[in-house]
Amino acid sequence: MLATPAHLRATTVMQPSSRQVEHTAEVCVHVRAPSLGELAAEAGRALARLELATPTPSPSGPSREIEVWATDRAALLVDWLNELIYLAETERWVAAEFDVLEASDTGVRMRARGVPVAEGPARVKAATFAGLEIRPIPGGLEAEIVLDV
Amino acid sequence: MTATSLPGHGRATLAHDLPRSVRPDMRVPVRVYADDVLWEQIARDRSLEQLKNVATLPGVSGYVYGMPDVHEGYGFPVGGVAATRANDGVISPGGVGYDINCGVRLLVSDLTERAVRPRLEALVHEISRSVPSGTGRGGRLALNEAELNGVLANGCRNLVERGLAPIEDLETIEAGGTLRRADPGAVSVRAKTRGRDQLGTLGSGNHFIEIETVETVFDAAAAQTFGLGAGQVAVLIHTGSRGLGHQVCTDHVRLMDQVMARYGITLPDRELACAPFASPEGQRYFGAMCAAANFAFANRQMIAQRIRDIFGRFFGAHERLRLVYDVAHNMAKLEEIGGELLCVHRKGATRAFGPSHPETPNRYRGVGQPVFIPGSMGTSSYVLAGTDAALALSFGSTCHGAGRALSRHAAKRAKPGVEVRRELEALGIAVACPSSGELAEEAPFAYKDVDRVVDVVDRVGLARKVARLRPIGVVKG
Repeated sequence: MLATPAHLRATTVMQPSSRQVEHTAEVCVHVRAPSLGELAAEAGRALARLELATPTPSPSGPSREIEVWATDRAALLVDWLNELIYLAETERWVAAEFDVLEASDTGVRMRARGVPVAEGPARVKAATFAGLEIRPIPGGLEAEIVLDV
Repeated sequence: MTATSLPGHGRATLAHDLPRSVRPDMRVPVRVYADDVLWEQIARDRSLEQLKNVATLPGVSGYVYGMPDVHEGYGFPVGGVAATRANDGVISPGGVGYDINCGVRLLVSDLTERAVRPRLEALVHEISRSVPSGTGRGGRLALNEAELNGVLANGCRNLVERGLAPIEDLETIEAGGTLRRADPGAVSVRAKTRGRDQLGTLGSGNHFIEIETVETVFDAAAAQTFGLGAGQVAVLIHTGSRGLGHQVCTDHVRLMDQVMARYGITLPDRELACAPFASPEGQRYFGAMCAAANFAFANRQMIAQRIRDIFGRFFGAHERLRLVYDVAHNMAKLEEIGGELLCVHRKGATRAFGPSHPETPNRYRGVGQPVFIPGSMGTSSYVLAGTDAALALSFGSTCHGAGRALSRHAAKRAKPGVEVRRELEALGIAVACPSSGELAEEAPFAYKDVDRVVDVVDRVGLARKVARLRPIGVVKG
């Protein structure tokens, strides 16, 4: 196993986080997390905050498993978010909390709890590849994802 | 960058060229139409980088154009136009965008603002109540599989055949409201599931229905041909193909991303994923995109029918809303230009064919195809006429709106939605919008100056001014 380069070693465990960054037309979300699975989970939480009214209601009802496979890490992140957008729109159910059950560079399996909504959420059309790059940072990974709104 | 003075414009710098030499992977130069103020705004975000990326597409022809309202998007910028050769070039779903055939439809009445004003508030709220807005919200016309395939195959013509729309509308819709290359079989089950109950729904984001009054007529003869006169009340509808179109784009970006290597295509941005137009993947996307475009034409038609019903109830059945035109601004079309068959990608750009173009409707020959340029809720919108000169200047294309200047995030930070609502109401504009946050995102100050954008379009000759509309009522998704 390769040693982690010194500049990427972290002294504390990174907490997943996300914030919006400037984009003229769409919504760009910057996400950080200690692993690829957690990065996907945090991106899912950021998506839920966009889809649901503020303040975000607590997830309720039974959990469900969601599984997505793709050819590489960027495609995996895009496909994962597009799966959540599809579920929100067609099943009136916004996945908002996630436990990572399994994650690799080409697949994630999550247990998700969500918020049922009377009408499909009104915000996000799709997750895009625009400028998407999953970069290593000390203690984890970061990515900026452009969502078409 | 070189500033090019266009013939007949003296020293005015309205065309900004980025030659092929600025980046080794560019196959053609980039030209942006803008005055100095707009150019300075355009240079602030990634628009120019994205235009240069588009210039790397295989088979791209002539120039890649940026319209005066161009701004950063994903893959293509919004306000970008690129034509690829049909025989050896590519088609890129990112050059159309997720909202396939997002477009604008203008209806006009013989009513005046004075007649409408006493019931304006109620009218706006009735339209808001009757036309579902948000993504995924069901409309009144839920479709079974056969009905949905009928709409996908035949667009507005299908609605006419089912008695849901008047046949006379077809003449004044781009392509008659039906793209004949549509292939419902190329539309995935997922896309159909998303679209099944969305026909007749507005959507969110910058989609809207506005009640307007014709404030200024610049070209009386053209306005008369379009059926527009000063003081008339009109309705502008801006929406697209809803979740169905979004899913068609999602599906085909992923498909093309996976096959590009097989065709030896490498690109600077994965969101530009493409395949040769003539390839099975290219043809499949084109068929699915045309089907989604038909869905969008039918969507705007169903919304128009509901608004006609409401106007009839409010003002009497004799007060009929006549369709001026319906035109797309997110589309890829096969068009013969300069003797070449081209796939013209217009992403946030409006087709603007001139008086002599065979696809300009008969009743508008001699004037040019109507083009609608929405401003932003509190500012003017424009009716323009396409020009014959635009074919050589921009593959027959013009701008599609004011163009965003501020991000949604920055707009919300700058002013809360309740304040935006108060300011609009102070201007005499009745507003129906379920979300104050989204109202803030779409506030007038978040956009460029539409008067300036249209002025550039008119001076360059991409289209010419016919009339200016002033909003008196706004329904937001």
